[in-house]
Amino acid sequence: MSFDPSREDYQRLALRFVNQLDGTDPLKAAREFATFGRRFAQDRDSLPQTDEDRAFHLVSLAATIIDYDLPFSRGGTSQDLLKRGRNLLNEAVSLDPYCYDAIRMLRAADIPSFDLYYDFLDETADEVGAHCQEQRDLMLATHEGDRAVLASKIAMYPYLRWLGMQASKAVICGRNRQAIRICNRLLELDPTDIADARFTAAIAYAKLEDEGGLDALARRTRQVSIERARGPEDAWMQLARMAIRFKQYRMNDAKRQLQQLCDTYPYAAATIFLQHELPDGVFYRLAVPPYSEDELIVACSEATVLFQEGRARCGHGSLGTWLAERAKELAPKEDIDALVAREDSELNGDSGEGR
Amino acid sequence: MDAREELVQRVARRRGERMGLSKSAYAELLLAVRKNPVEFIDNREDATFLALGKLLDKFAADRQGDDLLEDDEFAIERAKRMGKLSIACEKITKACPTCVDARVVQIIASDRDPDVELGMLLDLRDEIAGGPWTSDTTGTGDAWNDVFARPWLRLLARIQFAALDSGRYRICDKAGEDALSLSPTDGVGARRACALSRARLEDEEGLNRLEARFSHRGDSWFALSRVILLYKLGRMTAARRALRGMCSLCDGGAYALLRPILIDTYMPDRPQYAPYSFEEVTLAVHEADPIILDVPDFALWAERQEDIASAGKSFAGEHGLDW
Repeated sequence: MSFDPSREDYQRLALRFVNQLDGTDPLKAAREFATFGRRFAQDRDSLPQTDEDRAFHLVSLAATIIDYDLPFSRGGTSQDLLKRGRNLLNEAVSLDPYCYDAIRMLRAADIPSFDLYYDFLDETADEVGAHCQEQRDLMLATHEGDRAVLASKIAMYPYLRWLGMQASKAVICGRNRQAIRICNRLLELDPTDIADARFTAAIAYAKLEDEGGLDALARRTRQVSIERARGPEDAWMQLARMAIRFKQYRMNDAKRQLQQLCDTYPYAAATIFLQHELPDGVFYRLAVPPYSEDELIVACSEATVLFQEGRARCGHGSLGTWLAERAKELAPKEDIDALVAREDSELNGDSGEGR
Repeated sequence: MDAREELVQRVARRRGERMGLSKSAYAELLLAVRKNPVEFIDNREDATFLALGKLLDKFAADRQGDDLLEDDEFAIERAKRMGKLSIACEKITKACPTCVDARVVQIIASDRDPDVELGMLLDLRDEIAGGPWTSDTTGTGDAWNDVFARPWLRLLARIQFAALDSGRYRICDKAGEDALSLSPTDGVGARRACALSRARLEDEEGLNRLEARFSHRGDSWFALSRVILLYKLGRMTAARRALRGMCSLCDGGAYALLRPILIDTYMPDRPQYAPYSFEEVTLAVHEADPIILDVPDFALWAERQEDIASAGKSFAGEHGLDW
């Protein structure tokens, strides 16, 4: 599911627009609403909005630039994109001093150490929570029916993102119990787990080699996503299970789990062979379709903390080395050749920029 | 491992048991064997053990000049030395596969990735588990008192190292627990890798239990594990206190932590040093290396504590070490 900044921007303005139509003649309201999509796309300023809405719009633009465009750019273009992103975020904060998404994203760039960024998220989390809960209560009081539900949910999103980011940074900092604690808090706040906290928790349980904890997480969150309820387990859960088996030296079981992962995701063996570490999303974990090639790429990137642990001569880490060897056996040779060729051309700067 | 002394005890034990000697007669025999153990060797396993001892002495002597070598020269010398030892061990273990120490040394000297080494060690463990000398038959409650059980305990300890180095902390802890249940006084030092594993697994209760089991008689591993654990749990004030504690208890602890020294593979077991000595804390930091790497800002954090950094620096100055 994750958070799609553009969609959230749309939902915010749509809610406000619809609210404003209350009390008008239904036919007129329907006619008016028919214009919303066009106005949102082409004439945004003509729509009713607050400074908070404007600030979030800037955040959504910055998120697109930083999380989706920047990783595919190079050299001077990267610098330009970063600068544009930063300007948008600064403007967002000046419009809405409580725009915690923008505050969080700005600090991510300013604080050079993992620990200090984690500390910042930790120290500010309660303040963000209090603000978002206040907003949520306001939304519940000023909206009705389904709209109240949606508006109050959206009001909490910045807090969910804050905690979600804190949990994923906790894993990177080697604080896995803290990560699990934060993920549990997220699952309590939002049992539908739009923040996909369970993905981060799965990695943390694997780091702690806690099979019981991982099983309990799987049972607890199995029905969370309708899209996944009938499908195979998600990549994070499968990677975590594989890592635990590997760590227990149940090599055949680990291999079976790897095979299952390859059956679940397209081009999985090639992705696992390459084990790329992407820059983490600054707005949030990239929103990618369930069971897509991209989803596995994101999951593998987050599993770097599992892959690279332990000494191995080739520098991949213990699990990473084993995986690369097994993936090479499993991957169709054309897939790996094609990927390596694509990489080479990207390294030589032949690729286009943008998404 | 003191191969010479263990050989003496092996040879004397076998002969003494065969002859059914009294305590005082056995003491006499032990003296005689100690003077010239080779003369008393009458079976292939002890002969293999003797040969292994000589190989290990030679290996240790060859290591002496390492400090003077450049990095690439060292790598070449090391590979040569390991290769030679591996081939020699292969020969003697072929003739006598029951010499567990020689088989462990052969596995270490084959110099594979920890992951592969662990697989080989686990295979060896499964092969000999349940056989002679893999339980405590001393009647003293501690298998370390039995010189024939020591190879098994050393194998378990070596499994701990390979598990630690390949990121498998529960296997490390379990092998340590197995060793501790046979040898509660822990002559082989299994508790140390257990302490590191429990820190890595953020298992505070487990580390507390382990410390209590040894009546809180600490050493560099316990001190370092406590710092890492508290840091990982995010209890930073306590972590800082533990760090200061470690650096004041361990001679040169701050230096050892902030400027880790490269230590070559143990052959085959951990050298013994006085608790809290500089040599000991250097080993503890070396063994904790994969765990410290997994906490990317840990070393930075330690260095940011001004008193720790200055303690490290002044230790370096006093001992003519680089800073």
